[in-house]
Parts: sequence; C-alpha cells; structure tokens
Amino acid sequence: MAGPRPGCSGPTLDELARMARLDLTPERKAVAGPAVDLVYGLVDQLDSVDLGDLAPATAFDARWE
Amino acid sequence: MEPYELRLSEAAERIRSRELSPVELTDSVLGRIEALDERVGAFAAVMGDRAVGAARAAEQEIAGGRYRGPLHGVCIAVKDLLDTAGVPTTSSSRTRADNVPAANAAVVDHLEAAGAVIVGKTHTHEFAYGVITPTTRNPWDLDRIPGGSSGGSGAAVAARMCQGAIGTDTGGSVRIPAAVCGTVGLKPTYGRVSRRGTASLSWSLDHIGPLTGSVRDAALMMDVIAGYDRADPATRDVPVPRHGEGLSAGVENLVLGVPRNYFFDRIDPEVEAAVRAAIGRLEDLGAELREVDLPHPELYMPAEFGILVPEASAYHQETLRKLGDLYTEDVRMFLEAGELMLATDYIRAQRVRTLIQQGWRDMFAGIDAVLAPTLPAVAARAGELAFTWPDGVEEPVINCYVRTSAPGNLTGLPALSVPCGFNSEGLPIGLQIIGRPFAEPTVLRIGAAYETATDWSDRHP
Repeated sequence: MAGPRPGCSGPTLDELARMARLDLTPERKAVAGPAVDLVYGLVDQLDSVDLGDLAPATAFDARWE
Repeated sequence: MEPYELRLSEAAERIRSRELSPVELTDSVLGRIEALDERVGAFAAVMGDRAVGAARAAEQEIAGGRYRGPLHGVCIAVKDLLDTAGVPTTSSSRTRADNVPAANAAVVDHLEAAGAVIVGKTHTHEFAYGVITPTTRNPWDLDRIPGGSSGGSGAAVAARMCQGAIGTDTGGSVRIPAAVCGTVGLKPTYGRVSRRGTASLSWSLDHIGPLTGSVRDAALMMDVIAGYDRADPATRDVPVPRHGEGLSAGVENLVLGVPRNYFFDRIDPEVEAAVRAAIGRLEDLGAELREVDLPHPELYMPAEFGILVPEASAYHQETLRKLGDLYTEDVRMFLEAGELMLATDYIRAQRVRTLIQQGWRDMFAGIDAVLAPTLPAVAARAGELAFTWPDGVEEPVINCYVRTSAPGNLTGLPALSVPCGFNSEGLPIGLQIIGRPFAEPTVLRIGAAYETATDWSDRHP
C-alpha cells in the first residue's frame, strides 16, 4: 500500500460521511472521527501481508434446500 | 439442598426418575431469581407464567411416560439476542424496546422441542457489541462486571438462577463471561449451531453456544441445539454426535498444544500460574504436551475488527439513521465508524482470515487441541475502562478480553472455557481448550477430564 492513510477529520470525515449518506452532527463527528482512526489503525496493520491470490473467507451455497 | 442448586445433569436425572417434578424445580428457580436478580441484574425479562406452564406440561408428559430427554423440565435462560415468540426480545437496546417476535429463534425451537423450561431472557451488552454488559454484575463480586456480551447468561448460571443458558460469541462473548463468572462455556465450531432468529453482530464471526455449571451439562445442551439449518447459510450438514458419550475417556493418548507465543505474552501472573497449573494437571492425567507457535498472531486483532466493525454497521445501517439517538454511546460510535470503512479493507480482512485458517490447520498437525488462558485477566471492576500492566501499559478491557478470544472466532474452531482456579481475591479464572473443526466431543472430553480431577466447578458465589 502506498504510504500512511490520512487521519479521519475535517473535510475527509465530511466527505466520507457524505458518501455514506450518514448525517453526522459536529458532536457526532468529534466522536466518530477518532473511532474511524482507531479501527483503521488496526486494519492498516494488514497492509504488509502478502495475500497473493488468496480468496476471502466467504462462500455462497447455490443449493436451494 | 434446594432444587435450584442442582446442575442440569443432576436435575435431569431426578426428573427422569420422577424424584423431582419440573414444577418443583421451576418454582425453586423462579424463587432464586426473585431473591437475587435485583442485585445481579442478569435478566432482561423473567418469563414466570410461561415457565410454570411449560413445567406443568412437562410434568404431565413425563407422568404419562413421554420423557423427551435430559432437557425435559429443566430451567434454561436465553440471551435476549435470540427471538422468543410472543416475548419481548430487545437485545438490551432501546432501539428494540417494543420488539415482540412472532417466531422463535432456531435454538429456542430446539430447546422447547426438547421440553426445556425457558425461564427468561438474559441481558447482553447492547446488540452484543461489547464485553461489559453494564446492566449486570458479577455474582462473585457485585462491584465487578460479569463480562460480555453474554454477561446475563454467565451471571445467571453462576448464581444458579437457571440450570443452563444460551450465549452468543463473536469475539469471545460466551467464553469471556464463562471465565469471569466461573462457569463452563462452549463456543462451538462456526456453522455447528443455527443462528436463525438471532440478532447479528457479525455474520462472519457469530456463534451460539451454552453456558453451564459443568462440562457434561454443556454436552447435553449441545445435543439439543446443534445441527444443520438451511435458513442459516453458515451451518454445515455435518452429523451431530452424542456430545456426552466420550466424556469419561480421559486424556491419555491425546496430544495437547501449549502456545509458546501470543496467549501468554501479556497476562496477569495469577492467571498464568492457574492456567499453567491446569496444563500440568492434564499432563499428569496422561496427555502428551507439545509446544506450538501460533501463526500470524499480529493479524488476529486487525482481522477481527476489520471484519466485525463493518459487518455490524451493515446490520444496523437503517436503524442507525432512524433511531441513532437511542443507541448507547459506545455502540453508536463504532456503528458510525464502520459506516466509513472501505469495502476493499473489509475484504482484505476476510482474505487474511483465510490465511489465519491455513496457518492454524498446519499448526494442528499431530495435535488434538490447544490449551490457553481463556482471558489474560480476571473480572474488571464496574466502570474500569482499562487494565494497567506491570510495565505501565494500559490496555482497554475490551482489547484485553478479545485478544485471547478472537482466534477462536476467526478460525471458527470449537473453544471451551472451564474454571481452573481463583485469584487471591477469589475471582474465577478460565482455561481455554481449542479443538479441530467439529471436534466438540474432544474439547468436552478434555474439559471433563480436567473438571473431574479438580473441584473448581463445585465452588459457588
């Protein structure tokens, strides 16, 4: 992955919330922004994992019964 | 001895032999709830009239020679995440304060078909999104938490307000309350128990399992609740064994893995001492111990939260917009955060889960189960947000409890918590036994061997 992810505040947070169609008051933004940073701080630790062609751990069963 | 003091298997035997009436047992259990639950707060709803009606029906059936099996007439509590027809099912959330389902969850259907008497709905951390269960206290010390999210179920079993309870486990939520409340708790293999009719936290990681006073009791509940269900796409059509059949087989000829890394990396010394003593006890009983290195330990917490957080937000997407103010603050914060994550990051976490699964499969070569602490610490004090380790590092309670639980959810492997001692303050400690896929009988067998050789499960708050 190319470089660190920007922190989730200000215009970045505004735009993410707009794209999610989630109305966040200034008070909610003050809470949600750090929470997003916290989760991304964890998820970004997966950046360096070489996954090759590995498939996600999800599946779909085409049977009806 | 009062009837409420009986373990599930003991009550079942007395009911089968007609030494004990289901009505007598239910009256005793309801009286226990009446006497204690004002202080413990385990129950979101007590189903007194319905329970007495079910007990009377069970009594008549048994008197008529129609005994259904070990759960017939015994008292079971169900986490308030599972639908119960005609009974409020709130997930301990104000957003579902008026929710009265028309149908039962699959597990509730199975329990009722087995003749169990459902005595009430137990509290959960709101929508299972946390490990505190703030409505409920730990029966061993009312100033401490019962763990969570199935904290009501753990507290109810520990305080003997039921013979067994149902919990759900997405990041440890059966095993965490089992460990800190001093009960047995089994998170079965992913896909072993249907989740139909159960509010989801994370479809990829949710499991349903029993909390009980003994390993045998957990086996009896598994016999009833396990099985394939097309309505839950995660379930697998794998034959359901008799979970109690091998419980007396001991641990000779079993090879048990003892982790060199991760599980003991940052742990309360008293907890480590109790768990290592339990491992030694199993070796004394004839098990062969083999050190193992857990694969990819640095990926467990990132993958767990990378999957859980966006899936939880997807489940609550509509309600968050309509009733956002009704969520508790900690849950709402993470639901909002999950809305703002990228799909590719979520899928990356799902791909890492595959990698973790492959690593654990390889690690399990030649071993039957892995032994580990269920948790690195005992029950936190109510209101305590973080543990402070001897090196000065502060770790949030949720991170501490989830980091030793998450491997079981990510791998989907069956994981049993059994009591293995108490710290110097009298707080319970749990030993975790993690087995191969669908090897619930093996982890129960190991747990039963340890339980039989010790008296930890005989102690009560």
